[in-house]
Amino acid sequence: MSKNIDINVHHITRVEGHGNIHVNVTNGTIEKCEWQVPEAPRFFEAMVRGRRWDDIQTIVSRICGICSITHSLAATKAVEDALGVEVSEQADKLRILMHYSEQLQSHVLHVGYLVAPDLFRAPSVVPLVSKATEAVKTIIRVHRVANRWSDLLAGRTTHPTTLIPGGLTQIPKAQQLRELQETLKATVADLITICEVVLSVADKFPAFERETEYVSLKLDNPPTYTFYHGDITSTDCNGEGPVPIQQWESVANEYVHPQSTAKWTKWHRDSYAVGALARFNNNAELLSPLGKKVADMFGLKKGNCNPFMNSVAQLAETAHVVETSIQLIDDLLTKGLKDEKVKVTPRAGRGSGCVEAPRGILFHTYEFDKDGNCVAANICIPTNQNHANIQKDFEKFVPEFMDRGQDELRLGLEMLVRSYDPCISCSTHMLNVEFVK
Amino acid sequence: MTKDTIVLGLGNPLMGDEGIGVKLIEILQSASGDFPGADFVDAGTGGMTLLHLLAGRRKAIIIDCAFMGEPPGTIRRFTPEEVRTVKELAHVSLHEVDILNVIALARQLGECPEEIVFFGIEPESIEQRMALSETLGGRLKEYTEAISGELAAR
Repeated sequence: MSKNIDINVHHITRVEGHGNIHVNVTNGTIEKCEWQVPEAPRFFEAMVRGRRWDDIQTIVSRICGICSITHSLAATKAVEDALGVEVSEQADKLRILMHYSEQLQSHVLHVGYLVAPDLFRAPSVVPLVSKATEAVKTIIRVHRVANRWSDLLAGRTTHPTTLIPGGLTQIPKAQQLRELQETLKATVADLITICEVVLSVADKFPAFERETEYVSLKLDNPPTYTFYHGDITSTDCNGEGPVPIQQWESVANEYVHPQSTAKWTKWHRDSYAVGALARFNNNAELLSPLGKKVADMFGLKKGNCNPFMNSVAQLAETAHVVETSIQLIDDLLTKGLKDEKVKVTPRAGRGSGCVEAPRGILFHTYEFDKDGNCVAANICIPTNQNHANIQKDFEKFVPEFMDRGQDELRLGLEMLVRSYDPCISCSTHMLNVEFVK
Repeated sequence: MTKDTIVLGLGNPLMGDEGIGVKLIEILQSASGDFPGADFVDAGTGGMTLLHLLAGRRKAIIIDCAFMGEPPGTIRRFTPEEVRTVKELAHVSLHEVDILNVIALARQLGECPEEIVFFGIEPESIEQRMALSETLGGRLKEYTEAISGELAAR
């Protein structure tokens, strides 16, 4: 048994955002076991103050290059809530279709580019190409489909241009939706291939469980595996009704923890988790048949408390969003696409928007003056909601796995952080180079 | 139809000089009629999405804010072979992709443009604001001329 362990994974990106792992074990006694992260970019709240109601979604789309559609949707919904704007059924469905494209994009990227290298014991996806060429190509093919899908609905892959409070500035043509539908039908086989590849190495997911509170959206009317509508629920709610999204601050209960400059959150216990596994644990019975089939392939059942299974829940969701979108396109085409005019009258008000980002529930709240200028904003991102839970996982994981030695423990902790699919240092990414020629 | 050349502007306009790539694309787009063979794309901080934007092109011109050890405002043309990244990545997140890694992946997959040219612009300040520093903001003409020159020279 290793009596001494010293893990100090200290990565700093130039401007903001780093995730540090510190573990010290001396003579078999754990002296330090910490997940440390600085504040995520809350400054966006200051940036939207003074901006018009129809500028907000464009600005906040830059918070994150991976979840830009989700941030835009949350902001758009919050503005609509504040200004009392109704959205047509057609716009609502097209937005959901747009949102699904981002779930597929992000999940495939996460499982394929970050989790798969762990499972195949490759340092990153680049060397994985030679180890599992066809698997990587399949992942890239599906990611490409998801990107084109976003392009069609959101105007471009990242940082959408078609969203506006009240509706959409541009809608796809019927023929384009038909083509998308055919592409999605053809993508099902690739998704199953990806699932089979991950299943072949699923024994590399650490066998680790910790009883956890899982928080996500829930929609009862109609019962839906929801990413976009509904109220807030948790696995600890025990039959209590879901909490309206306008009251999200009473769910997140943000607080400052001395270990981190990022605010932590807690609801019924010391921490909670958000993300695909949270959605699954609250809504599994509502997955599409193909989503359920994928969960069954891995033996994933409601009530699972292994955080590494978040990646498997993401795979089930990729199948779900593709299958559900095929149906959604049928619904849209049957009703016929109409050009709709958007009319919004600014007024004073406060509103909230809540949607499921690929990595978990996301909250936006804005307040406007009578002219529709933003006077206050509050955003709570999923990654911040997971920090306390990652810490709690660390505290159980380290004693259980420290017998395996420093290198295995370090890899296990890194995989654990990755399994939460965190959003760290995404608002900047500039090149940092030195010249070799 | 996919055009022969793609000009990609990377960065975040909410982070001061980090947004220089996006700003230059905005300017170049307004003159895109002069370059019918090129697509101009504001790719933001899209990470792995770049892989798909590069696929099927003969040439890619990538404009980005870059720490190169030069005085702030300096624009420098270079190819991927001329540099190596000194960026530290935690590999815990999808959100910290390095474009040089994306190019390496594109090469491995056999779908990398045969020619890639970077225009790196040394920032003066990366901070939370929706405007460039005066140093970079005052040199936009010089930057667009350098990129237009590259496009004209093809």
